[in-house]
Amino acid sequence: MNLKKDVCVIGGGVMGLATAYYLLKAGKSVAILEKAEIGGGASSSCDDMILLQSKKPGIALTLAMESLEIYRGLSDELGSDLGFYSHGGMIIIEDEKQLKIMEDFVKKQVSYGLDVEIVDRNTLFKKQPHVARYMIASTYSKSDSQVNPLMLMRAFLHNGLNMGLDVLRNTIVQEIKQQGDHWNVSGQNGIHVECDNVVIAAGAWSGQVGELFDIEIPITPIKGQLAVTEQIAPIGETNCWTAAYIASKHDPSILGDRSSYDKEIGLGFSFTRAGEGNYLIGSTREHVGFEKATDFKAISKILEQARKYFPIMNQVNIIRTMAGFRPGTKDGSPIIGAVDGFPGLYIAAGHEGDGVALSPITGKSVAEMICGVGNHKRFEELNLRRFAVALAKG
Amino acid sequence: MCDELICRCEEVSREEIEAAITDGAVTMNEVKRFTRAGMGLCQGRTCRRLVERILSEKTNTPLSEIQTSSYRQPVRPVRSDLIQEYNNLEEEQ
Repeated sequence: MNLKKDVCVIGGGVMGLATAYYLLKAGKSVAILEKAEIGGGASSSCDDMILLQSKKPGIALTLAMESLEIYRGLSDELGSDLGFYSHGGMIIIEDEKQLKIMEDFVKKQVSYGLDVEIVDRNTLFKKQPHVARYMIASTYSKSDSQVNPLMLMRAFLHNGLNMGLDVLRNTIVQEIKQQGDHWNVSGQNGIHVECDNVVIAAGAWSGQVGELFDIEIPITPIKGQLAVTEQIAPIGETNCWTAAYIASKHDPSILGDRSSYDKEIGLGFSFTRAGEGNYLIGSTREHVGFEKATDFKAISKILEQARKYFPIMNQVNIIRTMAGFRPGTKDGSPIIGAVDGFPGLYIAAGHEGDGVALSPITGKSVAEMICGVGNHKRFEELNLRRFAVALAKG
Repeated sequence: MCDELICRCEEVSREEIEAAITDGAVTMNEVKRFTRAGMGLCQGRTCRRLVERILSEKTNTPLSEIQTSSYRQPVRPVRSDLIQEYNNLEEEQ
């Protein structure tokens, strides 16, 4: 099958669908080439957070705030319930050392315009009546939100198809060739797309796509495991994380007494209640290639934490476990923008655990770059070339 | 409209499953993700075959070619504290 399109998007996850949607809205014709099925990678094996508090003050936080603004109007725009809620979020703090780091962190975030504060024990216990009593404080931001990635993908897909989107599933891209001023993208199944632009939105698989034209896209799969509980009533006002995980990014000594196993699986804690009432409890950060099975020991560790922080979770039933491959980069920031030396080629990948949160702003911005609209100077620092520069500097 | 309930755990009707297919779902996993059919307590044990049949009808695909949706442990709902107990036992052995 031969297709002629303005843009070919590689990857049918939340990032590819968002990018396709904004391109179609701008009047471009688009085909998505997807190696398996919609949302087959990280987009269906993740939680639902739009978490602002965890973002480093800087471009990460700015983009998350912009994305949240888009989310506020997106249900109406797409004509679908997206399971979007702003219940706020709390990062619970176990000791003075964590508190000190979180105080500095919060101060910086406030300077970037995020409404976040440190609250005392009493406020924490009021908002989280079931949290372990040894906690000393918490952060609180009413901006932290959540969106159901599955409903989001359905809405982007449905709206896209209505605007003429072609989705080619089971299509593994095998060749991307520049011909004159356009590109030819071919799949293993005889599908060829002739297009002006190519967007690589293949998540953890983006590095493999880059190999097709000898570009190193330094994105590696980071496996994250989650446990899903049965549906229960809310046990607190907001979703929660622990300071240990966030503080450790700034001062690894915080996690000094962890077991080697916990370090190996990159054990962290996230605790969110999806719209239907299932709690999604995570998570791990494992460097194990594309090995997708969930394992008993890691899940048991994740649950051990949940029960330590929220003893009431002892009694809750686990109905499913899942693992997804977060597309991770070396510096923890996504790769967004044009690829030097390959006119018409763009990357929208490497968001690790922030893909769902950042998909609207990423998709919209990449679509604008392709259409030559707007000023995207702030994306310079997220361009792929930063790694080449880092390499050159040695 | 008489709603035929397909997924009892998540209360998903035939109509909702058909709407998801109209919205663009063409695989079992996509139908599951878009409707929640099979995402409840029984994880699709009861409805999986029924959904496969609807998908086969609506997409004119022989039932034998419909790929089943993916499933993961645990096999049945397990209490969170028991998971750790089992894990401890396993580690002792």
